[in-house]
Amino acid sequence: MIKPLALQTWKFLKSIQFTIVLLALLMALVLLCTLAQVEMGTAGAVNAYMRSFIVWRQFTGLPFPLPVFPGAALVGLFLTINLVAKTLDIPRTLAKSGLLLVHVGLVVLFAGEFVAGMMQVDTNMSIEVGQTVNYVQSYKNFELAVIDVTDPTWDEVYSIPDTALSRGGAIAIPGTPLTVNVKKYFANAELSNLPAGQTSPATAGIGPGVLVVEQPTVTAESEMNQASAFVEPTAGGRSYGVWLASAAIGAPQAFTHEGHTYQLAMRLRRFYLPYAFTLKQFRHDVYPGTDIPKNFSSLVQVVNPSQKENREVLIYMNQPLRYEGKTFYQASFGKNDTLSVLSVVENPGWLLPYVSCVLVSIGLLVHFAIVLRRSLKRRQDKKEA
Amino acid sequence: MNFLTKYFSWLAGGLALALALSFALPSGKTRSFDAAGFGTLPILEGGRVKPLDSVARNALLVIHSRQGFRHENRTIGPDEWLLDVLFRPQVADQQPIFVIDDLDVLGLIGAKQTKARNYFSFTELGPHLDEIQKQAATAQPIAPQKRSRFQSAVINLFDRVYLYYKLRNTLQLAGSPGLGWELQSLGTSDANLRHQDLIQLAHFRILPPAAGAPPEAWQSVGQGLAAANTGGPLHPGLVPLARLNAAYVANNPAAFNQALADLNGVVNALKPDALGQAGREVVFNRAQPFFVGMIIFLAAFMAAALSWVYKPEVLRPTAYALLFSGAIVHTLGLAARIILQGRPPVTNLYSSAVFVGWGVVILGLIVEKMYRKGFGTAMASIFGFASLIVAQHLGEAGDTMEMMRAVLDSNFWLATHVVTITIGYSGTFLAGAIAIAYGVRKHVVAVPDVETDRVLADMAYGIICFALFFSFVGTVLGGIWADQSWGRFWGWDPKENGALLIVLWNAIILHARLIGFVRDRGIMVMALFGNIITALSWFGVNMLGVGLHSYGFMDEAFWALTAFCASQVILMGICYAPPRFWLPRHDSHA
Repeated sequence: MIKPLALQTWKFLKSIQFTIVLLALLMALVLLCTLAQVEMGTAGAVNAYMRSFIVWRQFTGLPFPLPVFPGAALVGLFLTINLVAKTLDIPRTLAKSGLLLVHVGLVVLFAGEFVAGMMQVDTNMSIEVGQTVNYVQSYKNFELAVIDVTDPTWDEVYSIPDTALSRGGAIAIPGTPLTVNVKKYFANAELSNLPAGQTSPATAGIGPGVLVVEQPTVTAESEMNQASAFVEPTAGGRSYGVWLASAAIGAPQAFTHEGHTYQLAMRLRRFYLPYAFTLKQFRHDVYPGTDIPKNFSSLVQVVNPSQKENREVLIYMNQPLRYEGKTFYQASFGKNDTLSVLSVVENPGWLLPYVSCVLVSIGLLVHFAIVLRRSLKRRQDKKEA
Repeated sequence: MNFLTKYFSWLAGGLALALALSFALPSGKTRSFDAAGFGTLPILEGGRVKPLDSVARNALLVIHSRQGFRHENRTIGPDEWLLDVLFRPQVADQQPIFVIDDLDVLGLIGAKQTKARNYFSFTELGPHLDEIQKQAATAQPIAPQKRSRFQSAVINLFDRVYLYYKLRNTLQLAGSPGLGWELQSLGTSDANLRHQDLIQLAHFRILPPAAGAPPEAWQSVGQGLAAANTGGPLHPGLVPLARLNAAYVANNPAAFNQALADLNGVVNALKPDALGQAGREVVFNRAQPFFVGMIIFLAAFMAAALSWVYKPEVLRPTAYALLFSGAIVHTLGLAARIILQGRPPVTNLYSSAVFVGWGVVILGLIVEKMYRKGFGTAMASIFGFASLIVAQHLGEAGDTMEMMRAVLDSNFWLATHVVTITIGYSGTFLAGAIAIAYGVRKHVVAVPDVETDRVLADMAYGIICFALFFSFVGTVLGGIWADQSWGRFWGWDPKENGALLIVLWNAIILHARLIGFVRDRGIMVMALFGNIITALSWFGVNMLGVGLHSYGFMDEAFWALTAFCASQVILMGICYAPPRFWLPRHDSHA
């Protein structure tokens, strides 16, 4: 009883009828996602339609959203099963070799998108001309950095990611005698001068004069959260007061414990690299007599002590630098053309679409050549008959 | 078959080519002034060196939506018009060249709609300029896709008026005694102010880089005057230009032509390659290969349509010969653009329309050679014609050879991704066109002809395979380009989604055919729907105004696109309906 049913299901899953239904569903989703971008922005529409298993919709008058359509993640999952099953089924003969290549290529393409979706990490690197930077930073995530600045030649950085901050409580910092007690964390907040008569939870630094009002978090690409927290560093049973750390505060705040000076800073999360980039020159060329940008380029000195590498690289539009598993792209600029922003992408599957493109192109060419030859032969036979 | 019928097709094809050649030949002098020679002068505008003729044509297209106009019973060409704007603004100001279609804008300037199109001169607009500027300034901060129709129209009018205003203040300040007077007044008290105005308003830079200056350092007249005013050397081009100005105002053709020769000498000494380059572009401008091609394609279609009812043995080869001639002209035009621009054929929406049409025509020629039924010719010629019409409308936005923004500045990707994806569009459209022929033919012929239907279905199937190949490869190459420049392979950007829709649809057609889901008629209906998808992903996504690809926002084409899609839906119905469905069925019981 079970076996025939399973067999039936398997037969259905790999049928071409099912392929057609899935492709049609995918078309509908792509169209809906495109139209939704006008209202929701690209990221919102992609999350609602393409990265979800079910498309939900909130109807007015109903307290909860209703599922209205299968999401592209679900369709993609079935399409992958369908594709893999069908690919396994294609007879391994010369006549079908083109089709086999095409479908293997598609499997590789799907795998590439899956790897990108699961494992791609997007960060960026802002460098001013002359500056040396040895970290990339997150676009959205924050960290509370505790920096030991005692040694003038070397900063020792300890950091607490925003995920840990939002849980709150006491967080011991390994390698130091410090423990940071997170009193309150705001994923997004607005800071203003504290009106007379009100008091702040903060007791040290600039915090006591600042009013912190929690704000809803923002997700649009153009907007920035201002993460803020009241934290109390303690060491050796002694409190150093409650401090306000916020992404909206530029100036460093510091306290001293047993001869070590520690700075507190809320900042975009940084990932340190075993190498450093120095921006030697940034160019922003326009066509003569116009504002049309002709070229953006950053001339970067790459210094990697572990590889004993020290060389210049020019990063420009359509010409990224692939280095140590990361790819650095010329993305933006600022401060009167003295600041260059490189977007940094780490995607272990970046090569898969290239492989897929080659496989599918060859496969389609082979297959259509076979079909054309067969059709010409048929016409020839007809003529002779 | 007599001699004439045998060679009639050759004759027709040859005549079409002769027509094309006649356009490329230079015209005579205008009132004895060498206006055409003036149009060949190279200048720098929009980031590239081009002839004044291109400036004149593009400006007239933008302002007037045609490259010439009739005034006081005379046809005024672009070069003569530009001469008047530059040197005799009092004459040019009287010419009714500003076309205004929007009723609210007409109301704003206190005019009533009298004819189909309403033309106004700069003088007539004069009293309303302040109001136009005020309204445009209010509308400007609003994002283009959020503007009302009136706001778009008034900004459009303001931009055109401003372009005209800049042109008439580029070589001399309008209303001043001219460039010669400017040269004599160097060093006087308010000369500097006038030079600053000239620098501010200059639409193009006419003085080639002086000896020793960087190769891009073209100067406007204002810049040249300002340099001389502060004790620098006088640019050698200024004196002949001033003589040219004076001679044109004084109506002295001989002096004008002499001054032009001297100015050419200066350009030749400073920038020897610019004159030749500008000259080649002038020939291209004059030849208007895509306009001529459009006419030839229309003739080819009419011959093909006629061949189904009259003398097919003469008219079918004639249609093919005309299509072939049109293809030659079209190909030469494309090649000329590639050479002039130093870029692959597709660089913007305009050139994509030209290229899609070219792809359909070439594919049609091949299909016709293979199947010889006349359908390839007919459909290729009508689609070639339609795509060139679309291109002509897109070209009204101004210079079609504008410089490429940094992210697009990659000949490798323009040549691979953009060209393959555009060929994919061509394929999908040709398959749709064959489906139209199939659908219409089914109802027209009295006796069902199974064999021809089969051939048409074979054609459509083959072309869909071809289109799938190019649209898939083009889409993936686009992803790889995005990976190279933005760091992600796929971002669900509207243009990417559009390309994906074409791929998915073609894949659905092929799979549906594979399992016998659809037969000939079904494939044809699906191929017709492919027309809608391709049109939407080609133009529709640009109207959304979102995403990284929305370089060319368009608002007026919306209704044209809607009409096209509606027509395809109707054709799908016609294609699906049983043959001659409007006739009473006598044999229904048989």
